[in-house]
Amino acid sequence: MTDTTPPLAVEAQQLVKRYKNKAAVDSVNLQVPAGETFGVLGTNGAGKTTTMEMIAGLRKPDDGSVRILGLDPFTDRSEVRQVLGVQLQHANLHDALTARELVDLYRSFYPDPLDAHQALAMVELQEKARTRFSNLSGGQMQRLSIALALVGQPQVVILDELTTGLDPVARRRVWSTIEALQDQTVILVSHAMDEVERLCDRVALIDAGRVIAQGTPDDLKAQASAATLEDAFVKLTGRALPNEEDHGR
Amino acid sequence: MSTMTMPTVHARRPGPSAWMRMVQAEAKMITRSTANLIVPLGLPILLLVMQGLRTDDLSQQVAPGVTAMDYYALPVVLSIVVTYIGVMNFPSFLSTYRKTKVLRRLAVTPASPAMVMVAQMVVGLVQVLVGIALAFGVAMLFFDASLPADTFTALLVLLTCCVSMYALGMIVASVAPTPNTAAAIGLIAFFAMAALGGMFGPMENLPDQLAEIGSWLPFGAAVEAFQSTWIGETVDWENWVTLGATTVLGVGVASALFRWE
Repeated sequence: MTDTTPPLAVEAQQLVKRYKNKAAVDSVNLQVPAGETFGVLGTNGAGKTTTMEMIAGLRKPDDGSVRILGLDPFTDRSEVRQVLGVQLQHANLHDALTARELVDLYRSFYPDPLDAHQALAMVELQEKARTRFSNLSGGQMQRLSIALALVGQPQVVILDELTTGLDPVARRRVWSTIEALQDQTVILVSHAMDEVERLCDRVALIDAGRVIAQGTPDDLKAQASAATLEDAFVKLTGRALPNEEDHGR
Repeated sequence: MSTMTMPTVHARRPGPSAWMRMVQAEAKMITRSTANLIVPLGLPILLLVMQGLRTDDLSQQVAPGVTAMDYYALPVVLSIVVTYIGVMNFPSFLSTYRKTKVLRRLAVTPASPAMVMVAQMVVGLVQVLVGIALAFGVAMLFFDASLPADTFTALLVLLTCCVSMYALGMIVASVAPTPNTAAAIGLIAFFAMAALGGMFGPMENLPDQLAEIGSWLPFGAAVEAFQSTWIGETVDWENWVTLGATTVLGVGVASALFRWE
């Protein structure tokens, strides 16, 4: 019989990261099949970003392993960087360069990048092509950051706190951009329930460094006998999610 | 689930076009930062002009065909340009990029953050050459300055001085936790070395012990080495040792302490 299961694009096994003997990430297992949009949901300090940094090869795990398309982000660094696009929660860009100059710079790193105009159009920033990064609004900076994560046409994309701090219109624009991604595997780190429910095929709930539940949004609601994903989160973790204003603090 | 049938990915480092883009990006960052563009070019010319206007003995011959302007002022001006860019501009950009997490963003692309460092060095070198060309232009036009007697060795000294000052800049970037600290350390290092190396008057006018210390610091060693090339003498081995040791020290400290984040 032919196995029609899509291969795993991202696999994290027993990931552990400790700071001063305190486990920030504690035996996290994640399996993301190719083509899936996978949500990682949790409160601030739950270990989401640390987990993503280990998957992206920015932070070495104390224990456990990561594979991206079968490659190790530390030993196969060059290969992984070509197939992985990352939008980091805490990162910045050359602030005196214009949006177009930044796209040109980042696309030069990849073997088969998107056209610069196409990359800006994807996030509706064509009219800001000549605007310096430092003069863009928060939402425009975020959209440009997403364009740069996607400009290399990566097979796997990590988006950390995708819409934090954006107004409702800007959030919906960003969501449309993500929904338009056809072939990529997306890991979306968030604590916005509506965002995760709308965009993600499956979700992992992370709390205190551990994955406490994984499944489709409907699975998680059923598991917690909850009407909404937020209720499911609260029941499964015993914690309420922070307000939007607290995002990223 | 299966992890088989993965696409084959070949390691590929960014090519010449990426390097060119990075150099362009760093050049734009510098040219759009008024202070970082103007000061390293303007300060040496200002000092040169002030030296030229201050006294009338700069036209005195130190050696046949070599005036005091050639022997004292120009070596100091060349050393100022290189030191300012290497010890102040270069670490200032690196620490700002680290603080604002620009390097962290680049670390998740096929580009290495080291590309930024190399691009900064290339742009800094262009700035050095422009600064030197401007200083020479002013000195030759208004003060009858002449080129070094041993031009080839002068170029070698210039190159060695650039490498040495960048290495010193790497130490500053390594130990400074913030851009402000980098600016402060760079400024102190610059003025300390320059004051002992002849920026405010010939080193021989300093007390012996201070002059001795100054000549063993990279600024003073560069000034002395340039002076030797102007009068066609062999550059003292002590000057090469000082510049070489600074480079080794800088690379060593940076290897041990430099953090991209």
